[in-house]
Amino acid sequence: MPWPKETRWLGKETPRVDGPAKVTGRAKFTSDIVLPGVLHGAILRAKWPAAHVKSVNLEKARRAPGIKAAILVNEGEFEVRYAGQEIAALAGTSKQAVLDALALIEVSAEPAAFVVKELEAVKADAPQVFAGKANLTEGAAKETGEVAAAFAAAAAVAEATVSTPIQLHQPMEPHGHTVQIDGDELTAWSSTQGVFACRDSFAKSMNFPQSKVRVTCEHMGGGFGSKFNPGVEGLLCAKLAQAAGAPVKLMLTRAEEGLAVGNRPSSFQKLKLAADAEGKLTAFEIYSVGTPGFAAGANQGGGSGGASFPAPYIYKPAATRVKQGSVAVNAGQSCAFRAPGHPVASVGMEAVLDELAVKLGVDPVEIRIKNDPHEIRRKEYALGAEKFGWKEKYRKPGASPGPVKTGVGVAGAAWMSGGRGTQAEIQVNADGTVEVRVGTQDLGTGSRTVVQVVAAEMLGLDRDRITVRIGDSRFPPSGSSGGSQTTAAVSPAIFDACENVLAELKKVSGLDDPRGANWKAACAKLGSAPLQVRGKWREGLSTGGAGGVQFAEVGVDTDMGAVKVKKVLVVQDCGLVVNKLTCESQINGGVIMGLGYALYEQRVMDARTGFVLNPTLENYKLPGAADLPEIQIMLLDMPERGVIGVGEPCTVPTASAIANAVANALGVRVPDLPLTPDRVLAALGKVPKGATGTAARPDATAGAFAAVAAAPEAEWVESNGGCHSYT
Amino acid sequence: MNAFSYVTAQTAGSAVELVRERGRFLAGGMDLLGEIKDGLAEPAVLVNVKALPGTREIVVAKDKVVIGANVTLATLAEHAEAKKLLPALAQAADAVGSPQMRNVGTVGGNLAQHSRCWYYRQRDVRCVKKGGSRCFARGGENKYHSLFTKNMCLSPCVSNLAVALSALDAAVVVQRGAKTVTLAIAQLYERAWSEPKAHHSLAADELILRVEVPVAAGARSAYVRIAEKNEFDWALVSCVAAGRIEGGKLRGVRVALGSVAPIPWQVKEANAALEGREPTAENAAKAAERLLKDAEPREQIGYKIPIAQALVKRAVTALAG
Repeated sequence: MPWPKETRWLGKETPRVDGPAKVTGRAKFTSDIVLPGVLHGAILRAKWPAAHVKSVNLEKARRAPGIKAAILVNEGEFEVRYAGQEIAALAGTSKQAVLDALALIEVSAEPAAFVVKELEAVKADAPQVFAGKANLTEGAAKETGEVAAAFAAAAAVAEATVSTPIQLHQPMEPHGHTVQIDGDELTAWSSTQGVFACRDSFAKSMNFPQSKVRVTCEHMGGGFGSKFNPGVEGLLCAKLAQAAGAPVKLMLTRAEEGLAVGNRPSSFQKLKLAADAEGKLTAFEIYSVGTPGFAAGANQGGGSGGASFPAPYIYKPAATRVKQGSVAVNAGQSCAFRAPGHPVASVGMEAVLDELAVKLGVDPVEIRIKNDPHEIRRKEYALGAEKFGWKEKYRKPGASPGPVKTGVGVAGAAWMSGGRGTQAEIQVNADGTVEVRVGTQDLGTGSRTVVQVVAAEMLGLDRDRITVRIGDSRFPPSGSSGGSQTTAAVSPAIFDACENVLAELKKVSGLDDPRGANWKAACAKLGSAPLQVRGKWREGLSTGGAGGVQFAEVGVDTDMGAVKVKKVLVVQDCGLVVNKLTCESQINGGVIMGLGYALYEQRVMDARTGFVLNPTLENYKLPGAADLPEIQIMLLDMPERGVIGVGEPCTVPTASAIANAVANALGVRVPDLPLTPDRVLAALGKVPKGATGTAARPDATAGAFAAVAAAPEAEWVESNGGCHSYT
Repeated sequence: MNAFSYVTAQTAGSAVELVRERGRFLAGGMDLLGEIKDGLAEPAVLVNVKALPGTREIVVAKDKVVIGANVTLATLAEHAEAKKLLPALAQAADAVGSPQMRNVGTVGGNLAQHSRCWYYRQRDVRCVKKGGSRCFARGGENKYHSLFTKNMCLSPCVSNLAVALSALDAAVVVQRGAKTVTLAIAQLYERAWSEPKAHHSLAADELILRVEVPVAAGARSAYVRIAEKNEFDWALVSCVAAGRIEGGKLRGVRVALGSVAPIPWQVKEANAALEGREPTAENAAKAAERLLKDAEPREQIGYKIPIAQALVKRAVTALAG
């Protein structure tokens, strides 16, 4: 790798460049953009989980005080497939005027039968989300090796049935845009993970040339995969702006965030795993079903929110049978969510692996080292176990004395990372100041700081010489921030641009090395024309394939069922560390999100009304500061591998490690995530008879697994619609 | 949101007069503004009661502590003498919501807050509490609901202060027409026990002015709860034990459970089982048994029983000091 060995900035701890602006409120997020004459937009959403809409009359709303534009989402008759589906949108002079006028829109609809629970929707007689199409679709069983024979010959076979909930993205900044159409130019201020993707999407849907559309996103408050495109709300915002002839701001409410902007699909998994006497995995089988929302039926390979997921995840037993189903329900659609498919896959696989380890009497860390095909992860298990004190802490399941039992668990993750295709532009001024422009955006990972660190390192300058401008589709193009690819896509482009700057500056100034002490003198030779140089991503500076493992230590109050995570140790491979602080910050965030998945988060649907009961943060429970464990991070600094993103792998194994730690503490597995007190107490047999609880009941899951197993082995059918997109 | 007028009342008498025409009292507004925004309340007039004289003080007298209805939860939680004399009450106040909520929310508002049932709070659900014909929590998603009730509505009283004040045997002074009346905590909530639409016993034009908490020498109390999250979350179950210790024995002891019934849950036999006994885990278990005797462990709610048993044990043994 051509990266420097001795560094001043790379791999060191650099605070976020925009930190002061963010904590003082000076940073402008989308909702802070106030244009002269801006109107407020809002969306009318269906209050039926299923209905046939015959007509929508906007006239009364259009005449309401302050209303300047009223538009329909669909022309003519259409079907409503979930409560929260967009029907119409209004723009007006105040937020309240618009909210009040929404109530004046007349919708003539015939409510229809619906189903919102996965285990009901798989039944043959369940209401169909799309009339004439089965709710349940599944891929052909994928088989490798002789599965039956391998199980028969195994020294031990373990089984596990687990479920994972629908997790909502709930970014702190809701989805939203401000759109201004001025003549033939469209400008959008978007809360987005992809300014170029948004530009292209606005251009296509609004029929504008791409050259006439500009999307900016100076700061944004999280997306986690749900902000790759303008979404229905973005395009409604643009159409309202067009209809009103005035700029429109449309930010979703917290409750809307819980309905219609994506989620992580649920899963019900029945797993079986076998090993030989040495503890080598020999056979694996899984039946699973989950819902990606109203539009099931797509084999999205886990990449964009489908209900399928990689199995047997990171392990490679020779004989495997994998059969996964996807069931449509009348609820909002999933979309990409931080490491799509992986946390779901990890929870099931790591659970059955621990059950197998117990049966074999093998230590959970040892069975992983023995079976993990990834060399780096094997090293991480060994390093982590030492640091964590695994040998001292690990006890046989349930062996911890009560009533507050402690337990430990461990799990691993893989992520492809990678990233390429970014271009960057550097302008050097005669006074020695530098502007770096790149059309990436800061999803929250610290991209702006990463750009500054790389430029400062390569040019041999103090960081304050370098102004970084990002988040604008007029800057040199960069891809969307997804797949943990931004740092690995952007850093090489900055590196390349800096090399080109130095070459040019050498020519202009006649100085052999214009960096550092020579910088000012070299720049002074520029005169009145600043130097402008471009660079682009190139091979050899970044790579993909991040592996990580995590260890968790928990205390479980067996009287009350409360789980307290005491400590999480992360051992993460991330190649060359660009900025230690923001790298660790991403890992902290990944662990916290995994903790939420393990203990708190779950979208609750009501079977009889079809509504999401907890769309807001009152009852959709995100972890808060008081819930956080000690998070210890060991970065496997491997600069020879180049830059590798860590945003996703660091959230994958957290919930699995916690669930395994809880099982280790209790000596019994709590099968359903999140591990709430009611479920812990139920697993301990402490809930009185007569109560059914919130856990998935075996008779109901058995029906679902049988349905997946029995359904014809069809090819995957096309998706009936995408996440959160304008169809 | 409907248009409404806004008026600041200078006396309690005028406040209850002004509220009569489809009005609501506005103090911290924590609950009311949410109800208005969610379309659950459409008041014609908001009567600001924050200026009422004498409602923002905590007065410590010889035999009681008087807490004005407009005292914020943060003030109560941080009040040095309240913390010393009425630890359970200060702890209960400190456990409400977030710091922002405690800075704004008031004692009166916490006691008079409306149901947090997630069916009641849905704009498009017309449940029995809103005058509809059914309780959707029955047979629905009811893990946050009641173990006990005499009416169709399953939503529990979730006021932290109600549980504490119930165990502390406090009284609430209420403006009723031109007069003030004094209600025991049990009376403040008794209507919610039998009437599905009631959140408490107060009529729309009755206003809490202050709370009077008796204090005896040697009084002790403890508030314990469990929530799914460690902060900023509703209790799944809470428990307050209060009483004196004389010669190692409990005297004047009361134990109340929160979030298990539409009222703070006390059972005389449970208190009697502790009277004159030591605050041990065994004695607490006997009291818990009596407290939970008639609990209905329906569907998703049954897990609250073992939690309540554990909390009673912790609260009672905490009185040993």
